[in-house]
Amino acid sequence: MKKWFFAFMFLALTALVAQLAVAQKNAESEPQKEAKKEVKKESARESHKDYADMKIADCSSCHKSEGVAPNHDADWVRGHRVMARDGQKNCADCHDQSFCLDCHQGGGIDAKLSTQNYRADYVPKSHRADFLEIHPLKAQNNPQTCYRCHDKKYCSQCHGKFSSNSLQFQSHRRQFRDIKLSDVGPNHANFNTAQCQTCHPGGLVPSHTWSADHAREARRNLQSCRSCHSDGDACVKCHSARVNSGLRVNPHPRNWNSVKGNYRDASDKKTCLRCHDVTDPLIR
Amino acid sequence: MGSKGYFLLLLYMGLLLPLPCGAVDIHGRSSTQVLWFINDFNNHRQVDIAQYIMLNVTKIDKEEKFSIYGYGRGVQDLNNGEGTSGRLYYLYGEYRDLFDKADIRIGRQFVNISAGSAIIDGIHTNLKNIGPVGFTTFGGRDVVFGVDGEISHEGNYVVGLSAYLLEFRKTQLDVSWFRKWDSGDVAQDIVGGSFNQYLFNNIRLYANARYDLIAEVFNEVLTGVKYFPTANLIFTGEWYQSYPTFDATDIFSVFAVNRYQEWVFRGDCTINDYVGLHAGYTRQSFGDGEDGNLVEAGVLLHPIENLSLDLSYDWQHGYGGRVDGFIIDASYDASKEVQFGAGMAYDVYKRDFYPSSTGNETAQRYWIGGKYKFAKNMSAYLRIDDLETDARNSSDVQGRFIFNYDF
Repeated sequence: MKKWFFAFMFLALTALVAQLAVAQKNAESEPQKEAKKEVKKESARESHKDYADMKIADCSSCHKSEGVAPNHDADWVRGHRVMARDGQKNCADCHDQSFCLDCHQGGGIDAKLSTQNYRADYVPKSHRADFLEIHPLKAQNNPQTCYRCHDKKYCSQCHGKFSSNSLQFQSHRRQFRDIKLSDVGPNHANFNTAQCQTCHPGGLVPSHTWSADHAREARRNLQSCRSCHSDGDACVKCHSARVNSGLRVNPHPRNWNSVKGNYRDASDKKTCLRCHDVTDPLIR
Repeated sequence: MGSKGYFLLLLYMGLLLPLPCGAVDIHGRSSTQVLWFINDFNNHRQVDIAQYIMLNVTKIDKEEKFSIYGYGRGVQDLNNGEGTSGRLYYLYGEYRDLFDKADIRIGRQFVNISAGSAIIDGIHTNLKNIGPVGFTTFGGRDVVFGVDGEISHEGNYVVGLSAYLLEFRKTQLDVSWFRKWDSGDVAQDIVGGSFNQYLFNNIRLYANARYDLIAEVFNEVLTGVKYFPTANLIFTGEWYQSYPTFDATDIFSVFAVNRYQEWVFRGDCTINDYVGLHAGYTRQSFGDGEDGNLVEAGVLLHPIENLSLDLSYDWQHGYGGRVDGFIIDASYDASKEVQFGAGMAYDVYKRDFYPSSTGNETAQRYWIGGKYKFAKNMSAYLRIDDLETDARNSSDVQGRFIFNYDF
């Protein structure tokens, strides 16, 4: 229901804006239309390219009188994506693609003196004084911010170069394998995954701090888990639904029943088969 | 052919093309860089030499419609055994105004629409002058850069389609679709839209959304308003939400995740030619009752004509830990040929994740540099950084020397 509501709102907004734009065009008076024709004639001779060397303040001052918001201001780095994603964008009038990629892909052919670099890659100011140390905190912010420049594989590729013991989450301070079966019993590290269901039939897992903490941390920033456990093998140990393996702890979101078919079809069942047997009716 | 092969091709073209060849206009830049730093992966000092080439070849045909653009780099580690790596950012041919209706680009290029962006080896077309709507389509092999070079593999493809309004100066609307394949299976299927509307000569409304057709969630929604009573004063209010959806081929795509939301309030003011100010507050919500607060403030000063000072302060407290820090950058144009710069960044932080200490830690970066323009088309610059971080327990001096030649 929710998705239909959003789809309806999206279409309604599109229709509203199109109507607004048509109304705006129709409402133009004859002199305005004449003026626009003049502008068109003018623009045939002059594009933004001719203004590329002007001061931004001069651009803003002229655009303001036309009701166009000033841009390239101090907020531009954070906010430019809405303009850059639009089909009508005119970034290329003044910038080569290298301008985008110097920031988004680490290039540095036209870096300012004040631009930092990390190894051969040039990095924006958001990377602070030492991003290696501060990124575990900053990466908790808007999770899409990192993806605008780095593929998700980038994190695991980098983390894979470090010792796993040097990168530990709060919940990992006491790891699952360290949890003892009883006050005096052996810990979980002594057992293999085929033995899980001997003590946890049907995937019944006793509640303990580690399981609650890691679930919260994973929901808030799953990319962090992926950074070190990129193949998901560590997760599958408990979340797998295979017979005689795993604890069958269901990790799926609430809307899973309505979307699982999408994942099955998109990945040709490969993703499902990581945790489910081929014969499992849940993936049919 | 991998990145190295493409880069060699670009380098070869760069060497070959400046030869006199009729009316063809060839411009570009060669940038030779020496970089030295501590390699974090093995704690050894490393020296790299990097060669960047950027090339714009225009006026190839009589009507000046066909052009070739290229940009790439090769990096050689001189002492640490990492060898050679390369990135070809783009190398494409562009034919503009085909029948006055289409622009076509073929080759490696950066593509960006409201539903997604990528670097592709493929084709991009832009259909225009057919009415109030324009269309963009693209498709090709998906190119992904990792730490050491290209990490995309066989079966990684991207296609995209965008329709957008034209001819409306104060209204921009774009609806698009973006699909990505990973090893032949569908990894992402996104519908997106972006919207801008200018009202009353002082308001800008904007929105941007991406809907994941596989996960059936809006993995990104942004709505905002800017109020600009003058060209020098802008107030911004925004709401943003995201779900970190993963590729459908990735096991992490089946896990439940929380919604992230943020509310931004911000003001930007240019008082006069000498002073500009900005300040903002961001409220973050991570789900499960965890929140964060981020305050930013900054000032841009031009006390004298040739001197500029850029100061910014960040304060972030909440989920994940805290960071308090400032960045100062200064640059002084001593003459048309000589520029000096210096700056520092100072951060005090405490991480709740991957904690390396129980208390506050500091990270400091100091840098100094200079740039000299030998001729109109030749310049060199040097920047030295000193990085001092508690966690590293020693200072790390790194730097770069660059020689640029424009042709």
